[in-house]
Amino acid sequence: MLKTLKRALLLSLALITPAVAETFVFTAIPDADETKLRERFQSVADYLSQKLDVDVRYVPVKDYAAAVSAFRNNQVQLAWFGGLSGVQARALVPGSRAIAQGKEDTQFVSYFIAHKSTGIEKSDSLPDAVKGKTFTFGSKGSTSGRLMPEYYIREAFGESPDDVFSRVGFSGNHSRTIRLVEAGTYEIGALNYAVWDSEMEAGTIDTDKVKVIWQTPPYQDYQWTIRGDVDERYGDGFIEKVQTALVEMKDPELLGKFPRSEFIPASNDDYDSIRNTAEEIGIID
Amino acid sequence: MDALRLNNLTAAYGGQQVLGPITLEIREGERIGLVGRSGAGKSTLLSLLYDRVRDQAALVPQEQGLVQSLSVFHNVYMGRLSTHSRWYNLTNLVWPRQRELREIRPILEKLSISDKLREPVEALSGGQKQRTAVARALYQNANILLADEPVSALDGPLAHVVMGIMAEAYSTSVIAIHDIDLALRYCHRIVGIQDGQIALDAASDRLSPADILPLY
Amino acid sequence: MMASASVRISLLFVAIGLLSLFFADIAITSINPWKDLTALFIGIVTPDFLSLQGMGTALLRTIAFAFTGVALGSVSGFLLALAFRWRVVRMFSAFIRAIHELFWALIFLQFFGFHPLTGVLAIAIPYAGIFAKVYSDILDEVDPTPARVLPAGTSTFSAFLYARVPDALPHLATYTAYRLECGLRSSAVLGFVGLPTLGFYLESSFSQGFYSEVGALLILFYVLIATLRFWARPRLVPFYIIAAPFFLGDGLPIVWGNVVRFFTEDIVPSPIRNGDGIAGLATWLSELTLHEALPGIWNTLVLTQVALVLTGICTLIAFPLISRHFGGPKRRGIGHILLVIARSTPEYMLAYILLQLWGPSMLPAIVALALHNGGIIGHLIGKRSNEIRLRPDAPQGCDRYHYELLPRLYRPFIAFLLYRWEIIMRETAILGILGIYTLGFYVDSAIQNIQFDRAMVLILITASLNILVDTISRRVRQHLKLRTSVTCEGH
Repeated sequence: MLKTLKRALLLSLALITPAVAETFVFTAIPDADETKLRERFQSVADYLSQKLDVDVRYVPVKDYAAAVSAFRNNQVQLAWFGGLSGVQARALVPGSRAIAQGKEDTQFVSYFIAHKSTGIEKSDSLPDAVKGKTFTFGSKGSTSGRLMPEYYIREAFGESPDDVFSRVGFSGNHSRTIRLVEAGTYEIGALNYAVWDSEMEAGTIDTDKVKVIWQTPPYQDYQWTIRGDVDERYGDGFIEKVQTALVEMKDPELLGKFPRSEFIPASNDDYDSIRNTAEEIGIID
Repeated sequence: MDALRLNNLTAAYGGQQVLGPITLEIREGERIGLVGRSGAGKSTLLSLLYDRVRDQAALVPQEQGLVQSLSVFHNVYMGRLSTHSRWYNLTNLVWPRQRELREIRPILEKLSISDKLREPVEALSGGQKQRTAVARALYQNANILLADEPVSALDGPLAHVVMGIMAEAYSTSVIAIHDIDLALRYCHRIVGIQDGQIALDAASDRLSPADILPLY
Repeated sequence: MMASASVRISLLFVAIGLLSLFFADIAITSINPWKDLTALFIGIVTPDFLSLQGMGTALLRTIAFAFTGVALGSVSGFLLALAFRWRVVRMFSAFIRAIHELFWALIFLQFFGFHPLTGVLAIAIPYAGIFAKVYSDILDEVDPTPARVLPAGTSTFSAFLYARVPDALPHLATYTAYRLECGLRSSAVLGFVGLPTLGFYLESSFSQGFYSEVGALLILFYVLIATLRFWARPRLVPFYIIAAPFFLGDGLPIVWGNVVRFFTEDIVPSPIRNGDGIAGLATWLSELTLHEALPGIWNTLVLTQVALVLTGICTLIAFPLISRHFGGPKRRGIGHILLVIARSTPEYMLAYILLQLWGPSMLPAIVALALHNGGIIGHLIGKRSNEIRLRPDAPQGCDRYHYELLPRLYRPFIAFLLYRWEIIMRETAILGILGIYTLGFYVDSAIQNIQFDRAMVLILITASLNILVDTISRRVRQHLKLRTSVTCEGH
């Protein structure tokens, strides 16, 4: 009995001793297709490992805040963030840098979708008719499912979403937003255009029930962000090496996992407008 | 031991005085039988006595005070917990010591429950439980025995045997007992309680059952 | 007379519940929920056990976290119970159990990150608080006379060992075994915030609409819970406990600097961090109170009170399902399955399904809480009813229910409900995430916005509210003289 106790104690000590293995760890916000995250990113990890000559490990997380926390806590050194989560993460980790974004991320948009019963048609501005309807965002920390839609709602009506709509919910993710609006549970929803497009392509959306009514103006979204202190840990010029590896990723199969046509260099300044928007809305202090 | 004089014993329940004030002297070598109707205050008096003389008394309460899930052996052993170290008590709980078994078995034999030595108390009959409680008091070997109806669940001959064993082991005792014949036979002195007061206090050889009956 | 007192209390609770219902938003607004619900139903009846990689690992982790967490909680809880006569220990225990395990997990995630310790502590800490209270109740209820007759001078340790522990032991064991089932549920639910247990895959598959995987995971989980008494034999439990820490997985290393940072920076209110002084803090606090705490408290209370009454109704309907006084073994078997499903399906998931059916309002959350908790108390009351022996010529059916069983079971029923009251309130936290603006909603929002100072204040408010309800519940139980031994199963 005492022996087993001793063993358990030793084990718990081992559990809490910080490991010093120099594995390079990255994560990605769970924006879509969570169940396949691991297989989706394992090939990316293999690619980076080969290019960077270090062990690269991918860890899945459950929500945007967890991705930011892991990055901040130096449990991951590189992350595929959304616009907002990237801004939050870089504010919390001085010296961290946005190094690459998808080509599409310079021109990202959100879709506002509506259930057929609302009778709202597609238009060039956010239709007045959405006032008083029920509305759902995606995840609370999402740029395309929360931040930018909220920004444009405020811009169009001069009021907070709570005042514009009769009910405001957070579906949790983009595909759930589609299903809830399709079911008429919420009459209006806002989401990442890429998720909508890929579900349209897969034929999983009942277009008799739900349609796009407005597309927001373009904004900056996803990007790869890396901690500033990785050069000390993995050798000088490591950040540049990672940036090059990402930008040189040409394999359509790998790029298809994001899905992006290619990665281009990015900088922190690209996301100033996102930060301003988040501050205006009060998501960032 | 010297004579024990207990002055002005009183007990109240819900703001109402139910016992006393009673003054009682217990002389060494004297076995006192407490008699009286149920509810007269015998148990209360015994309990008060126990509080006063705790460090030299063994108590057999009416509800016996047995640990139901422990064996008869352990329950009897508990009479001497204070004379052993914690460590000894702990190990004896897990592995009963031969030494203790040797001491306790004869007591149980006298009370005819030695076959129950390792049985948990909860598996015993009412009479067997009562004898286990008596065995604990015998094993404790204190100066005074305080017992509250210790043989109420035993039938005739067995009640006599147990009363005899207690009388033999404890020269000084106070025993509450509703059986008048047993009281007269095994006690030197009879104290009758009525409505929380002493209504009778006399040597038993000067009393007959007829003197006691009015108390009931 | 006693019966009428518990009936009067029940009526008072029903009245409060109705009043809350008046303020609650329970509109039904959904238009055509059937497409997704049909898909869900088809998915669940055609479970797909093959497509999910790592399901076995997740199952193993779920069990490992539950055993390690419950074992650690039980030992710490026992030690706390020994010191329970000190007010400060009682308050400490009340505080740590007033915070939902999901919140503990979210807190530890911020500085331990995805390390096994996060999951173990998230279970162990609140469970220690619960164990402390229940163990101390159980120890207090042990017959005091054996301790009284011990010879003078017996050491406290020996007295405790001989006169208290043996008779309390079976009750302690029964209760701990019951908590193990709860531990498995908690462990699975921790997956919702990212720990590698069943909940992780369940939530992912569910949110992606992979309903055949959901079906497989749920069935796996039901079987795990329903067969607990077959594989978690008392003799095997020590082996499980010793083995469990080896199966927690390795996660990511802890960086201790993060722990320090969390306590010295993250949870310090931002006005103080930014040097705005007391005035800034006052504005910050009043803004937080007005816009988040007060609406959160109001919605939490309304939801809790309505759900409590509905839980009672569900219980009264549910317990005959497993009672041997109604129907034969076949029907009871079906009843058991139904109740396992009701109590093992995470409330969160029930609420989401109902949300599709009825649209966004408090209704899905109310019904989800009532079904889940009604399943739990129904199970306990059903078991209690099986201990009752009726005379051979007792009436049948409805009359048996009303004349023979209900009067005998009403007091334990009320006792269980009062125990569950605080738990229902704690569970409203999870439902906050679905967009019902309970305190849990605001806590989750603050964490999503990386504002731990706000999250901390809101968590403290939540804890105080839970402690308040716990206190009222205890007073009511004392007033009704409900025996505390129901704690053996009530939590």
